[in-house]
Amino acid sequence: MSAELPPPAEVVQEPPRSSRWVPVLLVVLLTLLLLAAGTTLVLARFGEVAVAVPLRPLPATDGGDPVALEQRAAAARHALEQWRPRGVYIVVDTYRNRLRLYRNGELLRTASCSTGTGIVLRDPRNGRQWVFDTPLGERLVERKVKNPVWAKPDWAFIEEGMLPPTDPNERFDPNSLGDYALYIGDGYIIHGTLFKTLLGRRVTHGCIRLGDEDLEFVYRRTPIGSRVYLY
Amino acid sequence: MRTWNLSTAAHRLAAAFISISVATATRGGGTESAPQPQAVAAVELEAQLAKTPAVYLVVDTVRRVIDIRARALNLDRLALKGIEVVVYQPFFSSRQVPMPELPAIWTIENGPGDTDRETIAPKELRPYSSGDEEEEAPATPVPTPVGPTPTPTPVPEPPVRYRAHLDNGWDLWVVDALPARDWPSRFAEAVRDGWRRLHGEEVRFRPALALAMEGEDARRLHHLMRTGTKILVVATP
Repeated sequence: MSAELPPPAEVVQEPPRSSRWVPVLLVVLLTLLLLAAGTTLVLARFGEVAVAVPLRPLPATDGGDPVALEQRAAAARHALEQWRPRGVYIVVDTYRNRLRLYRNGELLRTASCSTGTGIVLRDPRNGRQWVFDTPLGERLVERKVKNPVWAKPDWAFIEEGMLPPTDPNERFDPNSLGDYALYIGDGYIIHGTLFKTLLGRRVTHGCIRLGDEDLEFVYRRTPIGSRVYLY
Repeated sequence: MRTWNLSTAAHRLAAAFISISVATATRGGGTESAPQPQAVAAVELEAQLAKTPAVYLVVDTVRRVIDIRARALNLDRLALKGIEVVVYQPFFSSRQVPMPELPAIWTIENGPGDTDRETIAPKELRPYSSGDEEEEAPATPVPTPVGPTPTPTPVPEPPVRYRAHLDNGWDLWVVDALPARDWPSRFAEAVRDGWRRLHGEEVRFRPALALAMEGEDARRLHHLMRTGTKILVVATP
């Protein structure tokens, strides 16, 4: 007996489940992208941005009578000239730690020095502070001393974690300042150092330290009253 | 690094420069025409600054240099890579950019040279004892250290980018590169600023004069940017 077999049912291939979600995901992604772009644009709308343009200064003065201008210029020149240093003066670069000695504009000596750290020391007892800056600007050599003795101030002890001594005699230190000292006011001194390997670095409490030979050279050629420029 | 350490010759050059400036101011830029009022005003302003012993800066916007001076003495000179006025504007619109009137003296109101400092403090202090320091000093002082060289407290290196508030309502920026001008960077900056504003941060920008210079020069200028430092800004050709 033979019977015809029914034709095989057509196999319908359904797309895999995951691919159904692709368009949905695309739509969601596109929506998120649009939202993000919109939000970004709104944020940018409310934000401000630095605009850099070349400087085109406006004149601060309108001019004036040429004769009066010439008189003003002469007066200003006279004022500037009277401040310019004459004779011997010292220039200290506190960033590069270089000291330069001049006489009438002629460079006599360049020396490596040490200057202030700029660090702040705080007394734990009362919050008192010291700033270890080398002062900036113009100063005068007020006095010169050979074989100086250092009267150690409070900070010298506090920095070492010690209470300042009650006996003043315990503050005197005959060794630390070297052979010569040039006092430039407010306790600041140009002096020597025991630690020459630290020359050229910012390690001091505000004073200017020099090596032995440089210190002697500066000491012998700088009269009292000379100007010192620190920057 | 484009800096000059002033040697003797440079010192004389600086002296000559002042003389030339004044002469230029007097003669009107080398011609026999009327003197330049801006140049005269600049010299007069510097004469005011030189009255005090303080260090001041002279920003020459034409020669693109900063001179460090005291008492009219040129102590050092730094070269500028660029000078620009920076203002803040909405990203999608533009306003007129304000320009400063020059010459003028600006004073630093809040400088990074004061604020960027490290503070040290011992936790507690022990009673002083002379034995803590060293042996009793010998009769003849010995100028050599008895112990090893102390390790100095490390000094933080100054930054290459910082800002100072000025008394004229402007800011002074010292930067190693001027603000980016390309579209994506500006857009990103606007978005960031918008985000800050969305979160309620009150953002108030002041116009600024941006001085671009080498990083090393920015570091060496940092300690001079202290509160009270005067800056003479000139624009005399």
